[in-house]
Amino acid sequence: MKERKDMTADSTFAGEAKQLFDESVEGLDGQTRSRLNRGRQAALEELKTGRPVWVQWAPAAGLAAAAIFGVVLWTGNQPVDQLTPEASVADFEILLTQDSFEMLEDLEFYSWIDLDEDADAALEPEDIVG
Amino acid sequence: MNACVASFAVSCESGYRRGVSTLQREQELNRFLAEVEKRALRIAEISVRDRDEALDLVQDAMIKLARKYADRSIDEWTPLFYRILQNRVRDWHRRQAVRNRVMVWFGRSGNEDNDYDAVATAPDPKGRTPDEQLQSHEAMQGLEVALCELPARQREAFMLRTFEGLDVAGTATAMGCSEGSVKTHYFRAVHSLRESLGEHWQ
Repeated sequence: MKERKDMTADSTFAGEAKQLFDESVEGLDGQTRSRLNRGRQAALEELKTGRPVWVQWAPAAGLAAAAIFGVVLWTGNQPVDQLTPEASVADFEILLTQDSFEMLEDLEFYSWIDLDEDADAALEPEDIVG
Repeated sequence: MNACVASFAVSCESGYRRGVSTLQREQELNRFLAEVEKRALRIAEISVRDRDEALDLVQDAMIKLARKYADRSIDEWTPLFYRILQNRVRDWHRRQAVRNRVMVWFGRSGNEDNDYDAVATAPDPKGRTPDEQLQSHEAMQGLEVALCELPARQREAFMLRTFEGLDVAGTATAMGCSEGSVKTHYFRAVHSLRESLGEHWQ
């Protein structure tokens, strides 16, 4: 008997809760209804195209990625004004040699020899032909 | 030549049928979503206590239903839709829990902008005196607060059975559990709500 009464009370309570809920649903404002409508249209658009909306932007995204890649490649090929590692190592070796100080004293002489070697090298091909 | 014309006609016919079928499906889905969206929004809103968040969750659920399950039979749509929505709501609660932990770690409360006011956002029922409206608002606010205090599974069972009117099997599909669990959750939810709201509720 008590169980039956409880069930009736539960049922009445659920009915009252449902009524309140339905009233709150009916009273939704226009802005909210409009946003729901827009959401529904977006969902139906997915059905029409048969593919996700983001897929439609894939070609544009691909082009943008390719452009960025191209720019990165182009800037990467620009000559950079810096000492090459070989040159740095050569300089270091010169500094470590015992006679480096003597070389510094006769700097003019060594530069003259260097110029002379360059001039000989420039003349060499003509000599061979001649 | 005749064979070519015939095959072209068959191809056109099948294309036409496919187009009509898609259009029909679209109309059916539109009707279904229009019918269910407002209740779904209120159910999500009661769960997350924020209308904007609830709108986003409902829209996500609608899109996923259209993308993945539009080819299912119409009878399956309601439990599937609510299953998607409930999963979204659970994910939202998980994200909020993580966000709140992070905010606490940074010395801020994660609920600073969570100033949800059920009375302020509650809609105005039509054709009622202000006193009746206020009484309804207060009763609904009390119900929402009591629902929020329930364990998540009990709340889901109550809202799907009572507000959406799903049967036990449909609720079980939507919640991803057995029919026995639905009955238990629902029974406990009703008793907890009646106890917390009291006999003189409404």
